[in-house]
Amino acid sequence: MRRTVLAVALAVLLAGCGGGGGGGATATTSSSGDGATDAPLRMGTKNFPEAVLLGELYAQALQAKGVRVVLKPNIGSSEIIHEALTGGALDIYPEYIGVLLSEVANDRLRPVDPRAAYRAAKAFEERQGFTLLAMTPFSDSNALAVTPGYARKHGLRTIADLRRVPGTVRVGAPPEFATRFEGLVGLGQRYGLRNLRATPLTIGRQYRALDSGRVDAAAVFTTDGQLVDKRYVLLDDPRKVFGTQHVAPVVSRAALRSHGPQLAQVADAVSKRLTASAMRRMNAAVVLDGRDPRAVADEFLRGANLK
Amino acid sequence: MTRAREGDRRVRRTLRTPITTRVVLLSATASVLVGTVLVVLIVAVTGQRDAARSAFRSQEALTAGNQLEKSLITIENGLRGFVASGARSRERFLQPATRALAAYPRDLSRLEGLVADDPGQQQRVDQIAVAIDDYVRLWARPLIELGKTRPDSARSVVVTNGGRERLDGINREFASLFARERQVIRSREDRAEQRSSRAIGFGVGGLVLVLILTAAVTLYLRRAVVRPVVTVAEATARLASGELSARVPIERHDELGDLARGFNAMADSLEQNRAELERSNAELKRSNAELDQFASVTSHDLQAPLTTISMYAELIERRHAADLNGGIALVDGIRSATQEARTLIRDLLEYSRAGRRPLALEEVPAGELVGRALEALAGPITAAHAQVTVDALPVVTADRASVTRVFQNLVGNAVKFTAGRSPDVAIGAEPAGRMWRFWVRDNGIGMEPADAERIFAPFKRLHGEEAYPGTGIGLAICERVVAQHGGRIWVTSEPGAGSEFSFTLPAVEG
Repeated sequence: MRRTVLAVALAVLLAGCGGGGGGGATATTSSSGDGATDAPLRMGTKNFPEAVLLGELYAQALQAKGVRVVLKPNIGSSEIIHEALTGGALDIYPEYIGVLLSEVANDRLRPVDPRAAYRAAKAFEERQGFTLLAMTPFSDSNALAVTPGYARKHGLRTIADLRRVPGTVRVGAPPEFATRFEGLVGLGQRYGLRNLRATPLTIGRQYRALDSGRVDAAAVFTTDGQLVDKRYVLLDDPRKVFGTQHVAPVVSRAALRSHGPQLAQVADAVSKRLTASAMRRMNAAVVLDGRDPRAVADEFLRGANLK
Repeated sequence: MTRAREGDRRVRRTLRTPITTRVVLLSATASVLVGTVLVVLIVAVTGQRDAARSAFRSQEALTAGNQLEKSLITIENGLRGFVASGARSRERFLQPATRALAAYPRDLSRLEGLVADDPGQQQRVDQIAVAIDDYVRLWARPLIELGKTRPDSARSVVVTNGGRERLDGINREFASLFARERQVIRSREDRAEQRSSRAIGFGVGGLVLVLILTAAVTLYLRRAVVRPVVTVAEATARLASGELSARVPIERHDELGDLARGFNAMADSLEQNRAELERSNAELKRSNAELDQFASVTSHDLQAPLTTISMYAELIERRHAADLNGGIALVDGIRSATQEARTLIRDLLEYSRAGRRPLALEEVPAGELVGRALEALAGPITAAHAQVTVDALPVVTADRASVTRVFQNLVGNAVKFTAGRSPDVAIGAEPAGRMWRFWVRDNGIGMEPADAERIFAPFKRLHGEEAYPGTGIGLAICERVVAQHGGRIWVTSEPGAGSEFSFTLPAVEG
């Protein structure tokens, strides 16, 4: 009897102690790579698939070499992302040289020659404490695309032919198209086109808008994956409204200093491999096949021995 | 058979532990039980308080999160208004956005502090913090700058460049944070609820257990302590009433077992003593009877030769007085010695008869008996010029001759043992319960208190026969007579101040 009472008391005691709830502290330890500085490199990208892909390519290659990179994809158009760069929220982002000159440097009479354009852009950036790393072999120029049917109907071959189209030509394009020189502004100035009206679309949507007839023409990029199979007609640009658009990373000189020569070496090595065909293939994989840009970039870098 | 023995062994083992140890163990168990119940209740109350506190924290976290969301919406709306409106009204839109931009880090750090105890939530808040930071640094601030320098560009950018999408993403993260926080609140409340109901259960159960234990202890004490004590008390009462064979069963090995054993040993010893007493009493009676018989026979048988000797001594004196010359004195010696021996033998016979002869009891006025005794002592009283006063005396149940003899002996002694002055003797009586106490008081020589007992023994004399003649058997006879009547006799005295002899006789019934 007495043993039973003791056992019960003991059980009660033990039950009272239980149920306190453990919840051990979780210690998270992070080991940095052997990069030269503590602060990671803050890399941004513009807000369309090719830009995101470029960000993955540069970032992964740098990470493979031990540089700590924080990638912020999809930030916005050049106007915004460059503002973020100069405001100190970013250290680096890949930019199209033509857009940089026309929209950021406000240089409407930019050189037609890619090398001259590169020098001009670099000079512009260096005045503000930034610089350009090496540019890519590929150029993703802006262009106007129409469906083959529409081209046949109005006898379109060049942009100038759009003047013959009766009524309004609806152009599906990113919102900034309306205010850019490489947009309605330049087209009006160089070709005297007054019948164009911009329909703002997120980049990448314009092909579907063309297919559905919501727009008559679309502002596209020459490296778009959709252009691989000749389903669309690109209109010639004899008066050179759309400049060449080679890509080069814009980087703050402070970041360049703190991360050492390795940063420029790795980025330049990546840029050198980015040909037009390589870009178009990768764009098709991302946009048409719906693959993860991270995986596509990884595959490319491994193939190019950059990772 | 086997089972019974086993049970027996178990009982013995349990009962071998001292009661003190058992009581201490029981109290300790009860204390532990009560203490445990208290501890459980305290734990439950603490748990509930903690739950309330953390629920309050969670509520605060929800509030801080909502505040943050509101700040972000303010910023985004301000940005849109700022970008969309003309130069004159844009500052109006920018001001709230700027204020919200300045205020949000405080809300964020408050939120971070409030979820610091939940790693999962902490991670969510970290993600939200990064998203908000990105929104502010990569979208809001650049857009403001752009709006200031190039309003047209800013206006075109704001249409599709995803400020809204970013906010929606942040809001989704907030939603998951809030859902998780609400879930935390609910589960904490559930747990506290569960714990408190369990504590109530434990408390009630513990109290019931304590009550049961108390009842068990009471029953146990009754069984283990009170009942055995009562058994011993009953046996003691039986023993006191003379039933010396009373014993208690010994079935324990604790303090009460010791008590029972002690009682039994005492009873054993008492019983044995009484048996011995009875045996020696019987022995004594038998030898007394033999002695009495012997004395009676001897004194009776001695009387005849003594008479013969006395007769021959008389004949010698009568017939040969002339021949004897001086020898006649020798014959006188023989005669007086013979007389003395006869007196002695007479007294001895009387003593041996006293107490053996059946009493002829009758109701008799004691005054009458005293009167006879004084008549018989008229000679010595007159000779000693004694003054005898007799109070009114009661009627008693007594044997006439024997009690007369008692008065006669006592008054005779009072008259005999004078201290040179004329004796003053007082006789009286007073009731003493169902008896009467009679006294015979004198102003004689008295005696030492140490002698007061001895003088009632046969042939016990305090003085030489030359000083006060007598055989020393009178008081012994008185003692026997009084004892045969169921009374007792004693003396209180002081040397030189006289003595008071008292004896008791039964009063007349009714």
